[in-house]
Amino acid sequence: MKKIFYPMLVLFLLVPLGLLSENPAWAEWDNEYYQEVLGYIPEGIKNAFTTQALMPDYTFAGLNDIASYYLSALLGIVLIFGFFYLVGKKIAR
Amino acid sequence: MHIPDGYLSPLTCVVTYAAALPLWVIAFRKLKEQLDETTLPLIASLSALSFIIMMFNIPIPGGTSGHAVGAGLIAILFGPWVASLCISLVLFVQALVFADGGVTTFGANALLMAFASSFVTYYIFIGLKNKALAPYISGWAGTVASSVVLSIFLGIQPLIATLDGQPLYFPFDFSLTFPAVVGSHALFFGVVEGIFTGIAYAYIIKNKIFTRASL
Repeated sequence: MKKIFYPMLVLFLLVPLGLLSENPAWAEWDNEYYQEVLGYIPEGIKNAFTTQALMPDYTFAGLNDIASYYLSALLGIVLIFGFFYLVGKKIAR
Repeated sequence: MHIPDGYLSPLTCVVTYAAALPLWVIAFRKLKEQLDETTLPLIASLSALSFIIMMFNIPIPGGTSGHAVGAGLIAILFGPWVASLCISLVLFVQALVFADGGVTTFGANALLMAFASSFVTYYIFIGLKNKALAPYISGWAGTVASSVVLSIFLGIQPLIATLDGQPLYFPFDFSLTFPAVVGSHALFFGVVEGIFTGIAYAYIIKNKIFTRASL
């Protein structure tokens, strides 16, 4: 079981490599993209439902990109393990 | 591949949530059956691993980027239902905490990234039996399947929701969406997913971290 943690640790440490790409994913553009390409922003996209995310786009106010990305990875891991160890343990056989 | 809020019409959001809901209930039951002292740490780790590998954005020609998902690996080890629930959990965290993928589109994102890829990978893997390339090919196919579902969800938007000729939500139809989305996943991100699935699966089997009971 320990052996699964080594490659995960390596990937965790390498996670800032994910920031190298400046390109957005296809169909995950900023609204300005539609203004440029179509000449308008579709109504539904302009008035989209928004939530107050804790770390929108994996950034945290006051932290640089790399620190934010590490913090995001850590937070994601903690929340996922948290689910399994709190809820999972309860429902496990 | 994470559909943001505002890209799908309210009807699509409602229908996709309604379709995902019973699937989540079944998946939760299947997870319950599989979880024990040995599987819990591994299933938790693989879910966290999925979260991490989705952070590796890979740029491709044409000005876009994408990433692997990691659904297929869980699917071939623990079955498609468990994998679907794990990836749904990852997507839920991404949507709520990181605004990566919408909240109104969470049902749709779960259908395409969790369910479509997990089931396609699982059944292709089973179909290929124990061939050495099975995890590579099935991992690739799962991601391509996700991209097909994504292009359907996006591509129908201009057909079902326009006002005075202007699309209200995602504006590009199939002729643009299908080649862009399915093409990039078949050529790039699916290949990354296939390589990830193959290497990770080999590593887990070789180190006897987990052995599939049914193989």
